[in-house]
Amino acid sequence: MSQSFTLRAAERGHEKILSTGPTASYVGGHPDAFVTRWSSFNFHDYQSGRPGFGKIRVFGDETFNHPGCSYSMHRHHNFIISAFVLSGTLTHLNTLGDNDELKAGDFYAFSAGSGGLHEELNLKAEPMKAIYLWMLPNQLLLPPSFQMGHFDRVAGMNRITPLLGDQAGAIPVPQDARVSRLVSDEPNTFVYRPRSPAHGVYAFVLEGEMRCDGTLLGSRDSKGVWAADEIVCKTGAAETDVLFVETVL
Amino acid sequence: MPDEPLKRWICLGCGFSYDEAIGLPEHGIPPGTRWTEIPEDWSCPDCGTPKSRFEMVEIGYAAGQPSLPLAA
Repeated sequence: MSQSFTLRAAERGHEKILSTGPTASYVGGHPDAFVTRWSSFNFHDYQSGRPGFGKIRVFGDETFNHPGCSYSMHRHHNFIISAFVLSGTLTHLNTLGDNDELKAGDFYAFSAGSGGLHEELNLKAEPMKAIYLWMLPNQLLLPPSFQMGHFDRVAGMNRITPLLGDQAGAIPVPQDARVSRLVSDEPNTFVYRPRSPAHGVYAFVLEGEMRCDGTLLGSRDSKGVWAADEIVCKTGAAETDVLFVETVL
Repeated sequence: MPDEPLKRWICLGCGFSYDEAIGLPEHGIPPGTRWTEIPEDWSCPDCGTPKSRFEMVEIGYAAGQPSLPLAA
């Protein structure tokens, strides 16, 4: 018997982080710049709500507002940090030497391992929207790594496309985890099959509407399902865009 | 509880890891220091996240890690 939780868009943690005052060293940019972050999970007791799901610790639906808005250069270890750009332009810099510009459909996986710094920056007037996902690694202090990928919305239409993990075409990450994306523009049924019932799947609707494992999810609603052989997802005629994160529990 | 295995903790703010077996000699915490022996007002040396927001983890090390400081 499968188990699940449903998290509605408005039930997530919400923060507005200013580039002035106490958070000025954390968020950079013009004095008007600020980050908004809707968090599905929480950094332990940073916020109320679920502490995480499987190896996921952070799932942030974030917007960088106004030119120069950034998370200033800062250090990480261990976490596998990935970003999936939804709109706008993200400039990503890290101490592995990468200096990249990411646009809608682009994503990266940065495994901080034994230590690395990064900066996340929006240089444009258009707000930059991205999903930030942090996962625990399967080993501590791995050699740091960084890889970028691109989700092709046309080629990926009406199927589940692997982005991160061990499947063909996906960027490998040092964890028993997978990230996939589904864009659908017609009424259809998609069956997501996790690797085993010991894996959980977190389905997050970026836009549109989907019936997931019997629950109707609207934009920014999400559902975690585990102990399931398969997860049935039904889409309608309107365009629907979904991220799936599968993680060992 | 001297028989209890030494544990590892990870900072949820940045991923910094603390290993009881290794301590943080460069920050005045000798090897073998239990998590419970570290003051409650201690915070992550990298990002300032408070001790209460670390999570205990059972994750092994990558090959060649940890690179232990050479014995004097």
